[in-house]
Amino acid sequence: MKFVYVFLTGILLLGTQAEAQKVFGTRNGKISFISPTDEDVKATNNEVASRLADNGQITFSALIKGFKFRYAEMQEHFNDQYLESNKFPRADFKGNIVNLKEVNFTRDGSYKVTVKGDLTMHGVTKNLTANGTIEIKGGKPVASCKFVILMKDFNVDASSITEKVNVEVNCAFQ
Amino acid sequence: MQKWKKMLVIIGITGVLVAGAVVLYVYLKPHRDVAKEKAVQLTAQVLFDAFKSNETEANAQYLDKAIELNGEVADITKNQEGNTVVNFKTNDPLFVINCTFKTDPGVLQPGQTITFKGICTGYIPDMNIVINEGVLVK
Repeated sequence: MKFVYVFLTGILLLGTQAEAQKVFGTRNGKISFISPTDEDVKATNNEVASRLADNGQITFSALIKGFKFRYAEMQEHFNDQYLESNKFPRADFKGNIVNLKEVNFTRDGSYKVTVKGDLTMHGVTKNLTANGTIEIKGGKPVASCKFVILMKDFNVDASSITEKVNVEVNCAFQ
Repeated sequence: MQKWKKMLVIIGITGVLVAGAVVLYVYLKPHRDVAKEKAVQLTAQVLFDAFKSNETEANAQYLDKAIELNGEVADITKNQEGNTVVNFKTNDPLFVINCTFKTDPGVLQPGQTITFKGICTGYIPDMNIVINEGVLVK
């Protein structure tokens, strides 16, 4: 009998927890990057899948082949030579909002956030911290942030093109 | 003109021409036009099953390929650039094939069965398969 009680309480607790957590998602978020030394080296991906939960968890997944360059030849080099997108087709980020207490998901407004997590790309996982903004509009969040990626951190030898890229994320959630 | 000067001028001109050709090649090479490519024909469900059962194999088979996809429209949205995006249904209610048009497909309705042709960029587990740069076939 005691076991049944514990079991039922457990289910109830799980139930309330699942109900309390709200998850926002998008399949068409946007990530773009540009080289600070060569502004022709820039690309945008408009098919970024992302989830943001009001408990602070945030994930982004971007397919490398989804990055569109202005110049087709650069896009080909980026995929074949540098990011090896046949071998490593996706970049994934999994992290948390560090200052979650400062974000009110139920009240419209703009909140400064710091996100910390792991970015996996080109077979390498690196810890990353980025500052950004979460804007709540009509109950739905838009997340944006900027950070810098050093190519050598991810075992990408692109020194003849650029040592680093400035990355910009902008995801409007549903 | 002295012989060596002539040589120098010829080498110089050749150099400029080669550099010019390289620059033209890099900057003028056109992007792929999927509308003109021969595509692999399959249904949204078959594509989903392939990636779900073996991502590596499905990547080898479909990644970067022109795909002509037939399926039922789950919903129609716009991406952040204003391009039309159609999500195709699969038997998993949480999983879709996310297809972005490069040209305006006109008016589409959820529930409609359409054929879309685009380039497959890959699989995002628990979310979707992405096909972009697409056009409406019928």
